[in-house]
Amino acid sequence: MNRTLQGFLRKEFRQTLRDPRMRLLLFVAPIIQLSIFGVALSTETRNVRLAVAPPGIVERDPLLREIHDKSLASGWFLPAKTPVSDPFEAIRAGRVDAVLVPPPGGLTRAVARGDGQLQLLLDATNVTRAQGVERYLRTIAATVGAAQTLVSGGVALGTPPPLQFDVRILFNPTMRTAVFMVPGVMSMLVCLLTIILTSMSLTKEKETGTFETLISAPVTATEVILGKTIPFVLLGISNIPLILAAGILLFDLPMRGSLALLAFAALVFVICTVGIGIFISTIARNQQQSMMGGFLFLFPATMLSGMMFPIENIPDFLRWLAYLNPLTYFIEILRNILLKGGSPELVLRNIGILALMAFFTIGGSLRRFRTRL
Amino acid sequence: MSEILAVEARHLTVRFGDFAAVKDVSFTVRPGEIFGFLGANGAGKTTTIRVLCGLLAPTEGVVRVGGIGFENGAEPIKRKVGYMSQKFTLYDDLTVEENFDFTSSLRKLDPAIAARRRQELLDFISFSRPLDTFVRDLPGGLRQQVSLAAALLHDPEIVFLDEPTAGVSPAARALFWALIRKLAASGKTIFVTTHYMDEAEYCGRIALMRSGELIALDSPEGLKRSTFPAPLYELSPRSEGARIRIPELKRDPAIASLEAYGIRFHVAPRSEPEWERALPELRGDFEIRRIQPSLEDVFIRLVEGGNR
Amino acid sequence: MKLSRALAISRKEVRHILRDPFTLLLALVLPVLTTIIFGYAIEFNMRNIPTAVHDGDRTLSSRTLLESFGSSRYYLLEPATGTPEAVQALSADRARAAIIIEPGFEARLRSGRGAKAQLIIDGSDNSAAGAILGYLAGVQSIAAARLLDPAPPPSAIALEPRFLFNPELNSRWFIVPGLTVVVIAILSILLTSLTVAREWENGSMELLLSTPVEPVEIIVGKLLPYTVMGLAGMFLIYLGARVVFSVPFAGSHLAYLLASALFLAACLGQGLLISVLLRKQQLSMQFAMLSGLLPSILLSGFIFPIEHMPLFFRILTSILPPRWFILASRQIHLQGAGIADIAQPLLMLSLIAAALVGLASRKFKRDLEP
Repeated sequence: MNRTLQGFLRKEFRQTLRDPRMRLLLFVAPIIQLSIFGVALSTETRNVRLAVAPPGIVERDPLLREIHDKSLASGWFLPAKTPVSDPFEAIRAGRVDAVLVPPPGGLTRAVARGDGQLQLLLDATNVTRAQGVERYLRTIAATVGAAQTLVSGGVALGTPPPLQFDVRILFNPTMRTAVFMVPGVMSMLVCLLTIILTSMSLTKEKETGTFETLISAPVTATEVILGKTIPFVLLGISNIPLILAAGILLFDLPMRGSLALLAFAALVFVICTVGIGIFISTIARNQQQSMMGGFLFLFPATMLSGMMFPIENIPDFLRWLAYLNPLTYFIEILRNILLKGGSPELVLRNIGILALMAFFTIGGSLRRFRTRL
Repeated sequence: MSEILAVEARHLTVRFGDFAAVKDVSFTVRPGEIFGFLGANGAGKTTTIRVLCGLLAPTEGVVRVGGIGFENGAEPIKRKVGYMSQKFTLYDDLTVEENFDFTSSLRKLDPAIAARRRQELLDFISFSRPLDTFVRDLPGGLRQQVSLAAALLHDPEIVFLDEPTAGVSPAARALFWALIRKLAASGKTIFVTTHYMDEAEYCGRIALMRSGELIALDSPEGLKRSTFPAPLYELSPRSEGARIRIPELKRDPAIASLEAYGIRFHVAPRSEPEWERALPELRGDFEIRRIQPSLEDVFIRLVEGGNR
Repeated sequence: MKLSRALAISRKEVRHILRDPFTLLLALVLPVLTTIIFGYAIEFNMRNIPTAVHDGDRTLSSRTLLESFGSSRYYLLEPATGTPEAVQALSADRARAAIIIEPGFEARLRSGRGAKAQLIIDGSDNSAAGAILGYLAGVQSIAAARLLDPAPPPSAIALEPRFLFNPELNSRWFIVPGLTVVVIAILSILLTSLTVAREWENGSMELLLSTPVEPVEIIVGKLLPYTVMGLAGMFLIYLGARVVFSVPFAGSHLAYLLASALFLAACLGQGLLISVLLRKQQLSMQFAMLSGLLPSILLSGFIFPIEHMPLFFRILTSILPPRWFILASRQIHLQGAGIADIAQPLLMLSLIAAALVGLASRKFKRDLEP
C-alpha cells in the first residue's frame, strides 16, 4: 500500500479510537442496542388479558371453562384482574384486551343444541395484536370443539379429519423475534456508524481548515478519497464479527451458511455505506449538517428495508425506494446466509447490486471532489 | 536574466462565475525575498495564494512557481511549495509527532529523511516540549511555529504563509518573524500576507491589493515615498472646540487628506506653500508636529481611501 | 420576566432556523416524509404472497384446493416442478411459502382416510410468516366446503370475533394516531437540543448574559418558536389523519389538545435538558437521537406493543413520554376517550414534563449565576 494511504490509516485510527466516547460508541453501544432491540421488541402476541363475561359464568359452564383454562395454560394469556360485567366498557377502559361471551344459557348447553356460538370481543386498536389473539383463540376453540364433535357426533374415534394442513415453518420454527430482528438491527447499526463517522470526519477537516493543508500536498483526489474511506471501511467491518458474536451468543442466532461469503458481502455493503457518507460530506458544510444529512438518509432507509415490515407490503409508489436502498439487499443477504444457509444465486445477485451501488456512490463523490480540487 | 524567478504571475485573472476575485495581476518574486501581500479582507489575497500553491487553476494568465507552470497539472507546483493557510492547519486531536507523521506520508517522504528533517525543524523553532504533546495543549504561538515547521517538512523552495500570526500575542509574533527572516536568509522565498503593518515593514517588497487588483508594488520605503511625496503632519486638538473643526478642515483646499488616528489626525498637505499659509491659524487649535509616514498611513491612503 | 425580551430572543431563534437550509429541511421535509412512510409503508395485511406450488396429484381436488388459495388474493401461486424445487424457492427468497400436494391426495380424500396438504412457511421474516399463518384458517374452511361432499359439519364451537374500535383491522388506524410522536420527537427534541448548546459554542451566551435578560426569558424565548412549530406539526398530522387517511376521531378534542400540549412540553423539556447539560451541538444531537428518536419509535408502543415486552422494559418505558401520548392518542381517536378516560396518561405526562422542564431550568439558572 502506498505511503500516503498508510499515513491516512494511522491518522484516522488515532483520531477515531483515541476518544473514549468514540470507542464506547463504536464497540459498546451497538451491543447494548442490539440487546435492547433483541430483548424488548417482539412481534409475538402475549400478555393478553382475557376475561369471561358475565362474571362467574366460567364455574357453571364446563366447555367455556375448558377454553378459558386452555387459553391461560398456553402462556399467551393472563387472567383479568377484575370481573367484567360490561365487556365493551372494560375493553374501552383498557382493563382487559379480550372478552369471551357465551350465548345465553351457557356454551355447554348451546353446543348440546348444536348451536355453539362463542362471541369474542377484542380490542383491535392494535391490528397485529388483535389478529394474533383471534388466531390463538380460534385454534383453542377448534380443538375443544373437535373433541366435542368426536364425542357427540357419529364419527368413529381415531378417524383423521377429512382435510388437514400440515404446516411447517422453516428456518425459524418457533418464530422467535430475536432471530428475525437481529440481522436487521445489525445492518442498521453498521450503516448508522459508518455513514455518520465518515461524513463527519470529512466535514470536520473542511470546518477546521485542515482540508486545505491536505490538498496543498501533491496528493491525488483518488488518494484523498481512498485515504478517507479505507479506515472507516475497516472500522465498520470490525463491528460485524462483534455484533454477530453477540447475536449468536446472546440470542442463539443460527449461523448456517458460509462465514467467508458473509464477510465478503459485509465488505461490499460497508464500502457502499462509507461511499454514501463521503457523498453526504461533499454536500454538507459543517459537521452538524452532515449529521442531519446522514439522518435524512438513514431514517427512511431503515424503515423501507424489510427490517421490520415486509417490502411487498409497501405500496408501489414507495416500493422503488426500497429497491434503491442498500440496506434492503444486505438484510436479505444476512437472513439468507444466517438462517437459510445461503443461496448462492440470491447472495451473489445482491452482492452484485451492492457493488454497483458502491461504485456509484464512491464514483459520484470522486467526481464532486475532482471538480472542487 | 539567468536567474529563475521564484514566483511569476502574468495577467493572472481568477473568476468564480461572474465574480472576478483577481483581475489581471502581474508581479514577480526573486528567490530569497520576503514578499508581503497586503489588502483588505476580500481583496483577493487568499485567492492569489491558492493559485500560486496549485490549489486553484487560473482562469486567465500565466503563473510560474519555481519556474513551473500549470501545464502538467497542479502536482509539480505543489511539490515546490509549502503552504500554511490562514485557518489552523494541524490536527489538534493528534500529537505533534503524529501530525508530522501524517504530513510526511502525505508528501511521501522517506521515513528516515522525514525524521531527520523533523528534528532539524524542531530545533529550528527551538521546540522543547515532549513530542507526544497534543497540539490542542500547545499555546497559540507555539502552534503556529509547529504549523510552520510542518509546512517546511518537505524542504520547499517557496513558502506561502497566509496570515500566519493572526490571533497570536505580540511576543509570539516577534518570535515568528525572527524565524521567517532566518528562513529567508537560508535562501527560501517567503510569500506572506498579514494585517499587521509592523510586520509588513520586515518585507523586502510589498504588493497592495484592492478589490482584486494590484494597486501598488514596491519596497516599504518606496511605497511611503510615492504615496506621500510631501511631508506628513500630526494634529493634536487642544480642546473639544478644535475637534469640531475637523469636518471643515477636510474640505480645506490646502489639505489633500486627513485621517483620524485615535485622538490625533494625520494630515497630508496639498502643497508646501498652501500649508505654510494655513499653518498659523491652525496652531491656535492644534498642536502640530511633522512626522514620518508609516505603512499604516500608506495602507489607509491607498486601500481604504480608494474604497470611499 | 418581560415578554418583549423573550420575543426578541424568539425572533433571533426563528432566523437561525430559517437561515440554515438543513434545519429547515429537517423541520419541513421530515414530518412529511414520516407521514408518508409510516402512513403508507407500514401495512400489516399482506397480499400476493409469492407461494411456490408443487401439485403431485394433478386431480380435480388438488386443483380445487390450490384455487382456494389463489382466489383468496393473499397468495400468488407460482408452479414448481417438485418438492425440492419448492423448498429451494424459499431458500433463494423467491417465495415466502410453499404448498406441496402429494400424489394420492384425491384418493385419500374420497376414501375418507383423511387428505393432507403441506404448507411450508419461510420463518425468517416473522411479520410475514405471522400474517400467512393468520390467513390459513380462512382458506382451509373455504377449501373444505368446496372439496368435501357432504360438507363437513361446522365445528361444534364457532368463534365469532368482534374487532372493536377497528372492525376492518385497518393498519392506518393503528399507525397514524401515533405519528405525532415521531414528528414531535424530531422537531422538538432534536432541534431544541441544539439551541442552548449553539449559544455556548458560539460564545454568544456570554453576550446574552452581559445584557439584563433573565434566564427564564432566554428559556421562554428559545422554546417559543419550537412550541409553535410543534403545534403546527401536530395540527398538520391531525388534518392528515382525518382527511388523507380517514382515521376516525371518536373522542374529545379538548382531551387531545391537552395531551398534545403536555407531550410537547415534555419533549421540549427533554431537548432543553440535553442542550443545557451537554453544551456541545455535536454531542447534544447524538444524544437527542439516542434518547429521543429511537425510543419514540421503538419503545413507545408505536409499532411494537408494550405488552409484548419483558417486565423490565414495561416498567422502563413508563418514564418515556411517547408511551403515554400514544396510549392517549389511540384511545381518543379510536375508543372515543374523554379527559376522564385518559387520566392516567395525562397525569404521567404532566409529571414527566414538569420534571424535565424543572430540571432544565434549574440547571440553566445555576449555570448563569455568577
